[in-house]
Amino acid sequence: MTKTILKAAIGLLFLAALLVIPRYVESPYALHMMILLFLSVSQGQSWNILGGYAGQYSVGHAAYFGVGAYTTMMLMYSRQVVPWVGVWVGVAIVIVVALVIGSICFRLRGPYFVLASIAVAEIMRLSAINLTTLTNGAEGILATEIPAFKIGGRVITDFLTKVPFYYIGLFLALFTIAITYWVQHSKLGYYFQAIREDQDAAHSLGIHITAYKNIGLVISAVLTSLAGAFYGIYVGFVDPPTVLGLDVSVQIMLICIIGGMGTIWGPVLGSLLLVPLSEALRSNMITEGLVKIGFVSADSRIGLFLKENLAHAHVLLYGILVVLVILFMPDGLMGFIKKLAPRRNREAV
Amino acid sequence: MAILEIKSVSKFFGGLAANSDVSFSVEEGTIMGLIGPNGAGKTTLFNCITGYYPPSKGEVIFDGRRMNGLQPDKVCMLGMVRTWQKVRPLAKLSVIDNVMVGALARTSSLKHARELAMEQLKVVRLEHRVDLLAGGLPIGERKKLEVARALATQPKLLLLDEVMGGLNPAESEEIIQLILDIKQRGLTQMVIEHDMKAIMRISDRIVVLTSGEKLTEGTPQEVVSNQDVIDAYLGESHA
Repeated sequence: MTKTILKAAIGLLFLAALLVIPRYVESPYALHMMILLFLSVSQGQSWNILGGYAGQYSVGHAAYFGVGAYTTMMLMYSRQVVPWVGVWVGVAIVIVVALVIGSICFRLRGPYFVLASIAVAEIMRLSAINLTTLTNGAEGILATEIPAFKIGGRVITDFLTKVPFYYIGLFLALFTIAITYWVQHSKLGYYFQAIREDQDAAHSLGIHITAYKNIGLVISAVLTSLAGAFYGIYVGFVDPPTVLGLDVSVQIMLICIIGGMGTIWGPVLGSLLLVPLSEALRSNMITEGLVKIGFVSADSRIGLFLKENLAHAHVLLYGILVVLVILFMPDGLMGFIKKLAPRRNREAV
Repeated sequence: MAILEIKSVSKFFGGLAANSDVSFSVEEGTIMGLIGPNGAGKTTLFNCITGYYPPSKGEVIFDGRRMNGLQPDKVCMLGMVRTWQKVRPLAKLSVIDNVMVGALARTSSLKHARELAMEQLKVVRLEHRVDLLAGGLPIGERKKLEVARALATQPKLLLLDEVMGGLNPAESEEIIQLILDIKQRGLTQMVIEHDMKAIMRISDRIVVLTSGEKLTEGTPQEVVSNQDVIDAYLGESHA
């Protein structure tokens, strides 16, 4: 009992800290990193519901991310629809897309479902490139001027700094975590996990397999599209490779696989590892760090080589990391931590 | 009153008749044994009854309702549930969660489902394993877990596919007692079993299948003394 209270207290403390960070941290870069972290958590959590709980490994979540991002951006760019309205149009479209995809792809099991999900995302990407009148094709859509958010004539925010994005991102991350929590503690979560563990057994226990898979897909797709819309508005630019590319789908999966599938905190841990790592690799922080601690000298051949190449190798290092995690922590970081700390407080047997 | 009627059910896989023209009915509150050599079509018949395969011909009538073409989940909701010859625990869920999945067929409240699940775990005597992962149970307990999970869906008819397969004599005896306990509660059961001694003890009636066809049907005494059955099991040169 005291443990629950302690846990709740720590949680609230964390939440309070997250809420006041923008008051004390002015560095746009630090806020940017936090926003990327929130985005990553919400992406990973969305995938977690379908992939982690229901066991349907979609490698095509870029489709929902992209549709959310594109719809909001297109409406703002060509119809001047404010994003907080456009988002919901995106959500409506994504629900329809998800149900169409689900009704086709969920006839397939295992690897065949994976292939179908990739194909669907690729169809979306190619459509975005070729339907130039709608999407501006490969050029993408640039729309950085977001109208100020007003309630009854009073300006709440004008989106000129990163602070409003910080709070939207934080809300989105908390919202997806809350949804996951709700799923895990409801009939839905039990049925998803039953389907993941053994589809035929689940079917015999009165579970309508296709219906529940579709429910999982719709929840997952809607949350992903919210993340997509947020990304589009925050960056102010979308084009086919950045929101609909295969690497977007893979990235979304990795957050969850590395963190721990089918757990509430897995995607959070995954994001805490992957976001800083990819940033460090991209911005060459690792080389600088190695030089600073005197491991290599900046002018030596190795130092120059690293400086030249390490930033480009971030995808490679990322890949190595994934291989290591799969080999040594098949249940992700969450599973690894659980194994390290065996449950002492197992309820009376 | 017959709770289940199988009327001339046939199932073809291409040219192979896994079941052909099988008919019998199961009386409410009784245990029907289903026996036959390997490949006789016992499990196929279970699959036809519970909606995993649509029968190629014939009808399955359960509780006065035609079941042909219904999916397994609908079949379960109507009150007919099966266990699996090769056990299918939800390995990464705990024992209680496994049974709760079954109970959730009848309630949406997790709290209520947990209570229903606990009751069934007591019936199969697995209450000391509640929080263990299902994947870690030994085979005898996995078989019991299958039964508890099926019972939790509150069926009118329970179909058990070789629940004693792979068990040692002591474990088999426990399962026999469990099946008789379940009968005491008034639940109708249909049991596929290879262990002849066991099936003789528990069944009220027995249907014998060979090569997909019904060879004979009767009380255990009638079946063991039937010359066709002896021939099917021991070969015709015997006698």
